[in-house]
Amino acid sequence: MTDIILNKIGKTYPNGFHAIPSIDLTIKEGEFIVLVGPSGCGKSTLLRMVAGLESISQGDMMIKGQRVNEKEPADRDIAMVFQNYALYPHMTVYANMAYGLKNRGESKNVIDDKVNNVANMLGLEALLQRKPGQLSGGQRQRVAMGRAMVRDPKVFLFDEPLSNLDAKLRVQMRIEIRQLQRKLGTTTLYVTHDQVEAMTLADRLVVLSKGKAEQIGTPMELYSKPATPFVAAFIGSPSMNLLPAELNDQGIKLSEQLTLPFEHDFRGKLVWGIRPEHLEVSDENDADFAMRIQAVESLGVETLIHGVLEQSDGASTPLVVRLSGPHTPEINSLMWLTVPEHHWHIFNAETEQRLSES
Amino acid sequence: MIENRPWLTFVSHLSLLFGIALVALPVWVALVASTHPTSAFGAGHIPLWFGDQALQNWGSVLFDNAGSGVDVPVWYMMLNSLIMALGITIGKILISLLSAYAIVYFRFPFRHLCFWVIFITLMLPVEVRIVPTYEVVANLNMLNSYAGLTLPLIASATATFLFRQCFMSIPGELVEAARIDGAGPIRFFFDILLPLSRTNIAALFVIMFIYGWNQYLWPLIVTTDDAYYTLVMSIKRMLSVDNGDVEWNRVMVTTLLAMLPPIAVVVGMQKLFVKGLVDAEK
Repeated sequence: MTDIILNKIGKTYPNGFHAIPSIDLTIKEGEFIVLVGPSGCGKSTLLRMVAGLESISQGDMMIKGQRVNEKEPADRDIAMVFQNYALYPHMTVYANMAYGLKNRGESKNVIDDKVNNVANMLGLEALLQRKPGQLSGGQRQRVAMGRAMVRDPKVFLFDEPLSNLDAKLRVQMRIEIRQLQRKLGTTTLYVTHDQVEAMTLADRLVVLSKGKAEQIGTPMELYSKPATPFVAAFIGSPSMNLLPAELNDQGIKLSEQLTLPFEHDFRGKLVWGIRPEHLEVSDENDADFAMRIQAVESLGVETLIHGVLEQSDGASTPLVVRLSGPHTPEINSLMWLTVPEHHWHIFNAETEQRLSES
Repeated sequence: MIENRPWLTFVSHLSLLFGIALVALPVWVALVASTHPTSAFGAGHIPLWFGDQALQNWGSVLFDNAGSGVDVPVWYMMLNSLIMALGITIGKILISLLSAYAIVYFRFPFRHLCFWVIFITLMLPVEVRIVPTYEVVANLNMLNSYAGLTLPLIASATATFLFRQCFMSIPGELVEAARIDGAGPIRFFFDILLPLSRTNIAALFVIMFIYGWNQYLWPLIVTTDDAYYTLVMSIKRMLSVDNGDVEWNRVMVTTLLAMLPPIAVVVGMQKLFVKGLVDAEK
């Protein structure tokens, strides 16, 4: 069953700025959707439009078959977790969680039951009588989630909820959010700029750039078949090596001295990409090309090697190679690499679309 | 680094003690003078130690008619002052809260103009507009009434401005969270905004109470009926007696009585007051 439908949703600010030209998205019940993109791409605006905190300039938004464009946030049956948690500083944790229910006119017993239930689930029982100022960042985060869960909404909205936590806690909360969402089965929209968070949480990802949905799909689809160079560069860390190239009769011409054999009907400029983890070290004889090593980042479990394409003409083309385990190649030495063809990503340089398989 | 220079400590303590003496001496003199008979001041020197008339002086000042043509006792004038001061204070806070709420949270046409018009009234205190204000109050038949004493002083640009700043410092996310939690404008005002501006309200209460209590010119002009005389304005009246024989002991008692309520307010609300001016617990 479909839960939320965004039908050609758009946002134009009074000053004429098109924050979001037009987005279509259909969300199934219980699905975990992550909106991801660099800052200023309109992801928060889109979330706030779903919440009802920003007006919708054009298009229709439906929640459970009901048009909600003009509805107040409180009437949309949504709950939102804010980046800075937005807990009421003068209320206890209990009052914070109960406030929405109280405003709906629920009876004291019902409120008490629900709050205690959620507090149990999140391990907040001991904190119920404290004020937000006496809580740690992680606890506040939990209370903010509790406040959302207590209302038992149709949709959860998260606006970068983990960005104020330290790295370790972030990983822990990420897993917790995912488990909770599975358990509750509530449809969720989640905004983040962190692609790791996006990949690990999402059932489906929406990659946004300049208010446009670049690609919508499962994390693996986006990883293995990015639709545009933007998505290719955004998903995966370190980002994909993207090289300007040209397709001619011999194959993909990366530079005057370097052409990789390839057959396709297309002729013209393109962007050729390969992920750092798909470059393979080889002997000089079998190699497709060489890289001059400039810097090595050893992380123990893997090693990132930065360098430039040896056969580049004029402007040097940077490359990154990712090898598992520790390696200690010498700076300025040459590294020979092969590039398996099934890992190539080829985009039309003009339309910025993935080249269809020939 | 912790400095340890004995002579510096000594000098600074000495200057502090001197400062305290400078401020406290007049109060001391007033307190001592209030315990002497009227005759003690005739010789032209000021007594520095207590006399034996304390109970008598204080009792007669508080409960007998004030004299010099004033037919109400001092306790009654204190009551008048209190009603005026509280009226002005509470009225100012209520009106400023509401106008700041409107200006910060509601999008209505000429919002900014409204704010600046309110702000400009800072340049028009009672003393400047006293003649037209008197005319208005007289036409509305509010001379010699509590309404006449308080209403013209009740609008406050300072308080509106302060509350505006306070509201603007409340994060937008909090407002949005309340909206999602189903709090309408009135609920939001009472449940979120009021508790969050508690300390500011306390700070303003102190400042405005003292302002209201110390009003001199306006009560002097707008009241001719003894029943509405305030304490501060009648001190002056007690000094202007015909034969030049000022009853200093009674004047001093009245002065001390006039000082008490502001002190009580400051001492009682000190904690909240300082918090309101310094601390932002948002």
